[in-house]
Amino acid sequence: MSKLSLGRKTSTVKLNSWVEPSFGDLLGGSAVKSLGLKKVSRSNESLSKARSFAEDPSEKKPKKRKADSHVLAHQFPSSSKTSLEDRDEPWVDTHAPNSQAELAVHKKKVEEVENWLRIHLDLKRANQGGAILLLTGPSGCGKTATVQVLAQDLGCQIQEWSNPSTTSDYRADDAYTRVFDPDSRFNSFHGSSQTGAFQEFLLRANKYSRLQMSGDSQSTEHKIILIEDFPNQFYRQPSCLHDILRRFVRTGRCPLVFIVSDSLSGDRGSRLLFPKDVQEELGIHNISFNPVAPTSMMKVLSRIVTLEAGKGSGRIAVPDRASLELLCSGSAGDIRSAINSLQFSTLTDHSLEKGLWAGKKGKPASSSRKGSVKGRRKSKVHRATEMTEDSQAIGGKDASLFLFRALGKILYCKREAYEGSETPKLPSHLSEHQRDKLLIDPELVVERSHMSGEFFSLYLHQNYLDFFSDIEDVTRASEYLSAADFLTADWTSRATMLEYGSSVATRGLIHSNSARSSATSQSSVGFKPLHKPHWLHINKTYRENCLTAQSLFVSFCLPPVSLLTELVPYLAQLNNPMRNQAQIAFIQDVGHLSLRRFPGRLKLEVLGDKDPGGLDLDSEDEDSSNLATNPSTSTTAEEPAEQAEPSVEPTNPSSSQEVGGDFPASQPRPSNTEALLEEEDLIIEEYDSD
Amino acid sequence: MSLWVDKYRPTTLAKLDYHKEQANQLKNLVQCGDFPHLLVYGPSGAGKKTRIMCLLRELYGAGVEKLRIEHQSITAPSKKKIEINTIASNYHLEVNPSDAGNSDRVVIQELIKTVAQSQQIQSSTQREFKVVLLTEVDRLTKDAQHALRRTMEKYTATCRLILCCNSTSKVISPIRSRCLAVRVPLPSVEEVCNVLSSVCRKEGLLLPGELAKQIAEKSGRNLRKALLMCEACRVQQYPFSADQDIPETDWEVYLRETAHAIVSQQSPQRLLEVRARLYELLTHCIPPEIIIKGLVTELLSNCDGHLKPEVAQLAAHYEHRLQLGSKAIYHLEAFVAKFMAIYKKFMEDGLDGFMF
Repeated sequence: MSKLSLGRKTSTVKLNSWVEPSFGDLLGGSAVKSLGLKKVSRSNESLSKARSFAEDPSEKKPKKRKADSHVLAHQFPSSSKTSLEDRDEPWVDTHAPNSQAELAVHKKKVEEVENWLRIHLDLKRANQGGAILLLTGPSGCGKTATVQVLAQDLGCQIQEWSNPSTTSDYRADDAYTRVFDPDSRFNSFHGSSQTGAFQEFLLRANKYSRLQMSGDSQSTEHKIILIEDFPNQFYRQPSCLHDILRRFVRTGRCPLVFIVSDSLSGDRGSRLLFPKDVQEELGIHNISFNPVAPTSMMKVLSRIVTLEAGKGSGRIAVPDRASLELLCSGSAGDIRSAINSLQFSTLTDHSLEKGLWAGKKGKPASSSRKGSVKGRRKSKVHRATEMTEDSQAIGGKDASLFLFRALGKILYCKREAYEGSETPKLPSHLSEHQRDKLLIDPELVVERSHMSGEFFSLYLHQNYLDFFSDIEDVTRASEYLSAADFLTADWTSRATMLEYGSSVATRGLIHSNSARSSATSQSSVGFKPLHKPHWLHINKTYRENCLTAQSLFVSFCLPPVSLLTELVPYLAQLNNPMRNQAQIAFIQDVGHLSLRRFPGRLKLEVLGDKDPGGLDLDSEDEDSSNLATNPSTSTTAEEPAEQAEPSVEPTNPSSSQEVGGDFPASQPRPSNTEALLEEEDLIIEEYDSD
Repeated sequence: MSLWVDKYRPTTLAKLDYHKEQANQLKNLVQCGDFPHLLVYGPSGAGKKTRIMCLLRELYGAGVEKLRIEHQSITAPSKKKIEINTIASNYHLEVNPSDAGNSDRVVIQELIKTVAQSQQIQSSTQREFKVVLLTEVDRLTKDAQHALRRTMEKYTATCRLILCCNSTSKVISPIRSRCLAVRVPLPSVEEVCNVLSSVCRKEGLLLPGELAKQIAEKSGRNLRKALLMCEACRVQQYPFSADQDIPETDWEVYLRETAHAIVSQQSPQRLLEVRARLYELLTHCIPPEIIIKGLVTELLSNCDGHLKPEVAQLAAHYEHRLQLGSKAIYHLEAFVAKFMAIYKKFMEDGLDGFMF
């Protein structure tokens, strides 16, 4: 029996190996010490432990650990062992939610998913083909947990796809078998066995459910296919997946659920795999999850703590409320990481481990952590109002801001009034520069936006005018922006100056908005949609048009400036028949300026709020400071993932070449603008500046 | 059918319409045999290029008029490919090295080297040198200019350079001192009028003197522009009337309207509109420098004498930044905003003064 349990134990360890390295060593060592040598007083023990490490650090550790686990498995009766296993297992698993009430996800979201599942589990009987649900959201916001809990509640099975390890499949696809086995020639998935396997999985999952329908058990009647893990091939060729899905939609019998985590950077899984048009074509229902709200996270954490405290009978240090809050804010809405760091922090607070830990991991880490914890506790009152974003706790998630929020933070520039007497006063002649304390750190915001300062400034430039009411302020702000660009002019110092440039731009913008200079005067500006900058596109068009002009009219032997400001505009007014089609088109396009008051060429593109946190009426969400300022009841993210990584794709067409009504339709347009038209797929909102 | 500008372009030094004395001097220069490097400069539309082509014809005969456009690709030492268009005859090569942007140094060195290394075939009957004509020399990088200076000396036996630019202020002095500088000033209004009416006569049209004068004035004595305007007038209305309005380019009208928009209201919303208009101008390939220049001209005519120096200084300030910075719109917008603020303050003060 003990052997068996040992085996089981190792298997869990193996399964959870991602969390093991940080815990296992500690756990193994500590458990043995505390259990095996119970008699020894703690201080003594930690001393001897430290000494033993000092003496023989290289061989002692691994040996000891192996021996320990044997000893442990053989010696101890089952009661203490279960508790040990509990401790070894990550709390994320042991405390996985079992009911809807335990989910940290907002009720409405759960309902939404539930409704969808209910509808489509019923429809299955009506044989209407497969339905697909796509769940998106940041990692650790409870997507998978929701599906699992709901599946339990609705009494259906979850069949999950996991990527096969490629070796076994590959052998089957051997060159020999391919040659000699006539069947394999008809298998279209030679090179991409994973894709083939995936397709087969879908097929079988489908068939299987049909067979099971005649089965006896009620619970197995329904089935959900869950896919979290995508074969790599799909990232390279999303169309593969789309084809498979098309087939599935026709023949499928059970709901198919995809779970894709959002990420700020990288391949943008959901958008790559499920572009808008495919979503529409296949009727994929998309539900996007928000990061877990701090209140509900607090609930979950404190529940776990009480449970564990009851169970662990003093072996874990019960963290106080302040440190729980700290964990909450540090995890940036990722409940998985929050629970992990909770588990970790309860361990490290254990007086026994402290010495060991410090010895092992080196002083700086632990001391800085402790220092910061202390510091934070002191400033707790402060934090309650401020809801800081500094990350601190071990395992704290690197908080990053979606661009939309980052821009909001700068543009709305929340301030906080000084308390009474400590207000520093500027001399009277400078009183117009008096500002209340900023709640944000502009440099940090820029850093968190995952964007170079220059691009960030471009975004700011595009949007800042909406937030200003006084032309004097605008003057100052634009001056700062100009200065920021000027700072980076010299290429030799550019690398260094970039940072200063963005600092000047952001801080200058914040400072010059005198209407928002004090905490009290910050009446709500209301929600203003943010837009993507035009400049990149304009600049590109400018350069392209210049080049086109030069190549088209090279026979005129003119320098570009006079070519473009004299010849082309006048050519537009002369009906001179000798030119070829491309030239005519170019003249039509560039030589003519429509004298309409508002140019139709520029379309404003709304900057999508990728982060849906600000969009939902999540009453529990009091977290981030700019939520309050973005009562964005309107505008659901039209183009969620579109919010640009300009460094990757700086030529994102932000405006379209409108086909002007005054051009003869028969005239071909220049090739570059045609290309732009094809690229263009995201006109969102007509620009009207009135 | 080609444009009047090209159709009636004089082809020999003798046929030039104005600055005849200078034409004579150039002729003498060719005849005396020792042809130096030339640096031809003067404002746009004064006839520099025409003069140079006449000079080349004087040097080599009608053969220079057989032009071919070549597309050359040059590989820089950094393995970067540079594509550039050149216009060449058997005797000369014309290139605008600033097209190559930052790699202009390589273009200059490579092109001149290839030209200079090939000898003229019949050196007995013809001149022993070829000519390389570089346009927009003032837009060359400093790097390229220094390279040019060395190249000039090295290949002086087989190759002469004619440099063409608007202003010598951006040409480094070693180059200036190696060249014979020839300034081609703008024609006077009368000269423009004469050219216009002679062109019209050749076209078989009757151009009233008043109209000619108006065109000349409106074009800023830029002969190319004047001829284009004149041709546009012809398209617009014929027979000409003396008081017919002269067609302007769309962008000039647009720019003027933009200036009016700035003057008529000063608010962030208006600035947003102005920004859209600036973008529109930029997409129509109007260089930012020209935009700011045009704006200032229009704005200055709209504001009080007290403001003028301040506005002019502002414009200079931002134009400087515009040249150095990378994103023109920041600077254009900052200029407009600043002007708005100054103008608004001025108007409000004026109003106050009026009331009390």
